[in-house]
Amino acid sequence: MKMKNNSQGLPSRMPDNTAFRQQRLPAWSPYLTAWAVLPGFFTTGAFFLSMGILLILSAKSVKEIEITYTDICSDCSKLRENASNFYKECTCSVPFFIPEKMPNVENCAPFQRASNEIPIAPCGAIANSMFNDTILLSYYPNSTTRINVPLLSSEITWWTDKHVKFQNPESRNLSSAFAGTAKPLYWTKPVYQLDQENPENNGFLNNDFIVWMRVAALPTFKNLYRRIHRIGHFADGLPAGDYSFDISYNFPVTIFKGKKGVVLSTVTWSGGKSFFLGGAYTVTGAMTWLAAFSMTAIHLKLKKTISFQSLKLAKVKAKVERDKRRDVFRTSNTWVRTTGRDCRD
Amino acid sequence: MAGTIDCSFIRTLINRYCAGEENWVDSRTIYVGHKEPPPGAEAYIPQKYPDNRIVSSKYTFWNFIPKNLFEQFRRIANFYFLIIFLVQLIIDTPTSPVTSGLPLFFVIAVTAIKQGYEDWLRHKADNAMNQCPVHFIQHGKLVRKQSRNLRVGDIVMVNDGETFPCDLIFLSSSREDGTCYVTTASLDGESSHKTYYAVQETKGFQTEEDIDSLHATIECEQPQPDLYKFVGRVHVYQERNDPIVRSLGSENLLLRGASLKNTEKIFGVAIYTGMETKMALNYQSKSQKRSVVEKSMNAFLIVYLCILISKALINTVLKYVWQSDPFRDEPWFNQKTEAERQRNLFLRAFTDFLAFMVLFNYIIPVSMYVTVEMQKFLGSYFITWDEDMFDEETGEGPLVNTSDLNEELGQVEYIFTDKTGTLTENNMEFIECCIEGNVYVPHVICNGQILPDSGGIDMIDSSPGVSGKEREELFFRALCLCHTVQVKDDGFVDGAKKSPDSSRSCIYISSSPDEVALVEGVQRLGFTYLRLKDNYMELLNRDNDIERYELLEILTFDSVRRRMSVIVRSATGDIYLFCKGADSSIFPRVTEGKVDQIRSRVEHNAVEGLRTLCVAYKKLSQEEYDEVCELLHTARVALQEREKKLGEAYDHIETNLILLGATAVEDRLQEKAADTIEALQKAGIKVWVLTGDKMETAAATCYACKLFRRNTQVLELTTKKIEEQSLHDVLFELSKTVLRHSGSMTRDSFSGLSADMQDFGLIIDGAALSLIMKPRQTGSSGNYREIFLEICRNCSAVLCCRMAPLQKAQIVKLIKLSKEHPITLAIGDGANDVSMILEAHVGIGVIGKEGRQAARNSDYAIPKFKHLKKMLLVHGHFYYIRISELVQYFFYKNVCFIFPQFLYQFFCGFSQQPLYDTAYLTLYNISFTSLPILMYSLMEQHVTSDMLKRDPSLYRDIAKNALLRWRVFIYWTFLGVFDALVFFFGAYLLLENMAVTINGQVFGNWTFGTLVFTVLVFTVTLKLALDTHYWTWINHFVIWGSLIFYIVFSLLWGGIIWPFLSYQRMYFVFIQMLSSGPVWMCIILLIIISLLPDIIKKILCRQLWPTATERTQKIMKHKPTVEAVATCDGPLLEGSLTASEA
Repeated sequence: MKMKNNSQGLPSRMPDNTAFRQQRLPAWSPYLTAWAVLPGFFTTGAFFLSMGILLILSAKSVKEIEITYTDICSDCSKLRENASNFYKECTCSVPFFIPEKMPNVENCAPFQRASNEIPIAPCGAIANSMFNDTILLSYYPNSTTRINVPLLSSEITWWTDKHVKFQNPESRNLSSAFAGTAKPLYWTKPVYQLDQENPENNGFLNNDFIVWMRVAALPTFKNLYRRIHRIGHFADGLPAGDYSFDISYNFPVTIFKGKKGVVLSTVTWSGGKSFFLGGAYTVTGAMTWLAAFSMTAIHLKLKKTISFQSLKLAKVKAKVERDKRRDVFRTSNTWVRTTGRDCRD
Repeated sequence: MAGTIDCSFIRTLINRYCAGEENWVDSRTIYVGHKEPPPGAEAYIPQKYPDNRIVSSKYTFWNFIPKNLFEQFRRIANFYFLIIFLVQLIIDTPTSPVTSGLPLFFVIAVTAIKQGYEDWLRHKADNAMNQCPVHFIQHGKLVRKQSRNLRVGDIVMVNDGETFPCDLIFLSSSREDGTCYVTTASLDGESSHKTYYAVQETKGFQTEEDIDSLHATIECEQPQPDLYKFVGRVHVYQERNDPIVRSLGSENLLLRGASLKNTEKIFGVAIYTGMETKMALNYQSKSQKRSVVEKSMNAFLIVYLCILISKALINTVLKYVWQSDPFRDEPWFNQKTEAERQRNLFLRAFTDFLAFMVLFNYIIPVSMYVTVEMQKFLGSYFITWDEDMFDEETGEGPLVNTSDLNEELGQVEYIFTDKTGTLTENNMEFIECCIEGNVYVPHVICNGQILPDSGGIDMIDSSPGVSGKEREELFFRALCLCHTVQVKDDGFVDGAKKSPDSSRSCIYISSSPDEVALVEGVQRLGFTYLRLKDNYMELLNRDNDIERYELLEILTFDSVRRRMSVIVRSATGDIYLFCKGADSSIFPRVTEGKVDQIRSRVEHNAVEGLRTLCVAYKKLSQEEYDEVCELLHTARVALQEREKKLGEAYDHIETNLILLGATAVEDRLQEKAADTIEALQKAGIKVWVLTGDKMETAAATCYACKLFRRNTQVLELTTKKIEEQSLHDVLFELSKTVLRHSGSMTRDSFSGLSADMQDFGLIIDGAALSLIMKPRQTGSSGNYREIFLEICRNCSAVLCCRMAPLQKAQIVKLIKLSKEHPITLAIGDGANDVSMILEAHVGIGVIGKEGRQAARNSDYAIPKFKHLKKMLLVHGHFYYIRISELVQYFFYKNVCFIFPQFLYQFFCGFSQQPLYDTAYLTLYNISFTSLPILMYSLMEQHVTSDMLKRDPSLYRDIAKNALLRWRVFIYWTFLGVFDALVFFFGAYLLLENMAVTINGQVFGNWTFGTLVFTVLVFTVTLKLALDTHYWTWINHFVIWGSLIFYIVFSLLWGGIIWPFLSYQRMYFVFIQMLSSGPVWMCIILLIIISLLPDIIKKILCRQLWPTATERTQKIMKHKPTVEAVATCDGPLLEGSLTASEA
């Protein structure tokens, strides 16, 4: 067209004939037909199933022991329910048994200033509510001997948090650096006394503090407390036997009907003990296959019916299949609903 | 729309300011050359007039920002976001004001830039126009000044080829006869030269000095936008004598925008300037039309607003329920201050409600409006660029006057089309004439086509006789004289250069193609019209002698009278009145002549689809002529109701005529008109023809263009039939016929096209229509309108003939407001179609021979009727698919976005903790997910355009707003909710109870939000990728580009300690998250789970209930060779069935 136009030399408003303007850009037009998608479905299903099994197996290999000590230390709990008793010491001991060997795994207001207008360091509600129980793990190789399990607080935080984000004020002496600040309302000791033995773990650089400051997303959460230092008896993790926790009980939870506990766990490449991923992968894989099979069936049947040129029959079949499909939807929904249980406290 | 407001606003302002409310007058008085009238004259109220500045721009440099902001915030959506933003500024809300302020600023800025650019273009055009030099007379000398400084009353000189700077009263011209030629191409598109006449008394003032001595005042009406109407009066004062009064009409008024041709120079006095010129008054655009898509969009928006408010309410209530426990209200680690405790509970609740509103406000997609606007604006270029809709003959392409209705083109259910010029070429050819019952056929080759030999038809009567011979010659002379045709002569300046011999090759120009055909036809019969010179019409008769007739009066044509007359004085001094017009308007006025024979011939011709005109004459005595002159003069001088008085005078004059004969002119169908109509009908569109033509002619055209087929049962609802029976009976009878049939039809109406079935066509004429439309006093026997509509609904085609322009609009309105509210489209080419073009949902103008008025008032203009096919079936279809996906997708992606945020409130004690980081909240809509959908909505082609053109029935797939029905909307919303549940609870289950890193380190709330957000961005983008059926490199680029941009942005955003931020909560969150294996697994899993149901639904629907479109896609997939047979224009439905069997 354009050629002709040019050769005649007609002056005209004839638009440029580019592929883009004529909406004729070369393009790939995929359509979601059963044949095109079925191989994809089968592969995805296979991948998901195998991944799921793999994940379940790896989650199974994780050893985990959970001890909730709110009720065990009920005396302490009661003590903490009254705010006036926050500064009283309370410790309790929780004995337990490991049956088998465990291998190794912003805006601060209103907590900006204290009542006497001295700035609080660290400020904010989160820092104020920092978890301050101390937990000691002891091993009893026999009924008389008691060995303290060496626990490490290093590397329980993100490297970047410890080394970049959190920084102590520059000063020769930490306590002088924090001079002129008040400790948070519910803290028993100021920030520069969090770990007086290890300057690398004191002040804002305190590992427990950094871990706490990474606020959990959900009401039920686990924070990393300590790693087992693998020396001596514990070179291969925790041997089976009797243990006890000695807990200085500071953090009140019963006031808001909360619970706290200690979890001893190993980790693998897939994290801790959770069958969620594995289960979800397996279920999804299975459902993908189910969908793929039913689609194949429908496809083959439809082919037959169309060749008989009986459209009405196809519609009836279609209805049956539609009901089947509804079921598929329903199962997937209930699955989400039951697993997403309410965890408001 | 804004233009309208502006113009009328300025005008009222001017009027108020200048005249004040009480001394506002109907007419204005202009002192020519600013010379006061002599003392004795009437005292006039002085008025102030605007200067000659044209302002089409909306803004000035200074008021752009405030005014534009004001205009933008008048939109409800923008205003809503402004309120949200202000709430965020005022109260302590969980998210920073940036999150809604930045997108709002972005949206406002984009719109402002677009509007500013458009206004800048207007400013440039205005300046060019306002600064062009103008010659005007000051103290007898020629002075140049800028056009904008021109004042009312200035005397202006215009040279050949220049355009008139304002509306002028034509005083004198360099031509002795006081005429000038003007082309109004830029005003109404008619390129013919029109003759204008100088005021009789002033045409002698030909030099600067002369004209300066002119002493006159002009009285005329206040400006009004009608280009063809003007009434005024000039008083010319002469020394001692009484002033001479002359009437002024539109033939004396030179309009701004028109340009002078073939005339050396003219003088004129400015009467309307600047924004008061007729051209400026015509700038005002018509009322804004809104498309169905926009209406559904607003409905969806309201639903979402309700969801938003209920979400906020639920959360507020739950928050207070939750906090009723004191330890939750004030946990030990987070005790309130005294001031907080003192605060009023109600006030606190209200603040919380607002805070929740702010938190969830993103559910209303902020960028949807701007995306829709950009999509429409940019998308409309594809129409103007389309080479298939370009007409090489005229060099015209399609025009888009409004881009707001692109998608409406895909929703048309009724087409109302004009006949002449739209379905037909409006290229008339003289076929025959019938004089006193004898038929004459000019057997000459014409337009490259040999006319059928005249032998077949009853030929010239063997012995016409003497009186017959006389009548015959009189008839030819009448055709030669009774018209307003001009002769175009190139390079012709003065009559002297031209010899009569060259007349054979001269070109006739007229605003009416019929006249040209008649004059050309009569030329072939031996009488040639040469020219109009000095008020004498010259013609060359059969003996090659020049006859001269003095042109005394022209009784111009109008569509009400449907006839025109001329009064001429022959060389012998006889005065004749020749009258030419439609048969219905001539026959009642005829007293003599062979009426019956001619009438039968006229009817015969009409059935053949020819346009017929009757010619009559009468001889006037000198006394009668004087009487006529008197009558016309009084009517013409009248200032009030001149039109009406003139009409009455004409009616009085055109009586007692003697019938001479009739002519027949053929108007050929436009190329592919039949094909287009057939395709449109197959697409499920009902086509109605509305014409002013006779029933027989129109019916013949309808058959020719396959609107009525051979098996169509034509029902008639005409005046003739109503005369026989009462309207009531006719209507009921018709409805019975139609309904009986349709009752039996509904059962198998699914079987598709009614190709071999009985279908109905209805013919109705204007008089019958007005009877139906007339409101009835008693509603006892039901409403005729309803019955009429019922009949129409069951007819596949309707022909309305003998329609007045307003009746056309009435019909359109009737259908538009009927209970199904169908989408209507009106297409026409002439000024008489403008009313229906404005009335219909979509108005399309055919850039035709009858001027540009229709094209200017339309929403879209196309060169030919056949282009309608591509316009609707291809462009309309594409735009509809695109915009409906755009709208649905926007709502979907925002549900996905904000629903997790809502769920999160249940896990954070309703503390309004945002789930996502500020940057994500801000950028989600404006950069992570904006471009892919915009590009999709510009590029998507679910089926190739060839396929759409070849198989019109695909258009039915999207009829009745199919893709924006509530069912579809609810599906999308539920899909969004489902996806949101998957994102949220997937992430929840992953992070709830386990360490997910290999070293046991833990993730916080921001990692949780980032995980949800990452899955969200990927899912939403991939969902669009699944819906894309046309992957050009642009689509690949924006879709994958957006995802890559998201990743790069997140890496950067979390990778650096940003010094300007008061918090560093995102520091390394994204990178840490990606360092965990289970998170990767989780992202993949969640994306797949959220997409899976949609994929399965799509495949199953396609397998089990494929739409026509999907079947077509399948064929294209399996049989790419179909392209090879693309030349066959037939429907491919049968082909598609066989292909799917294979």
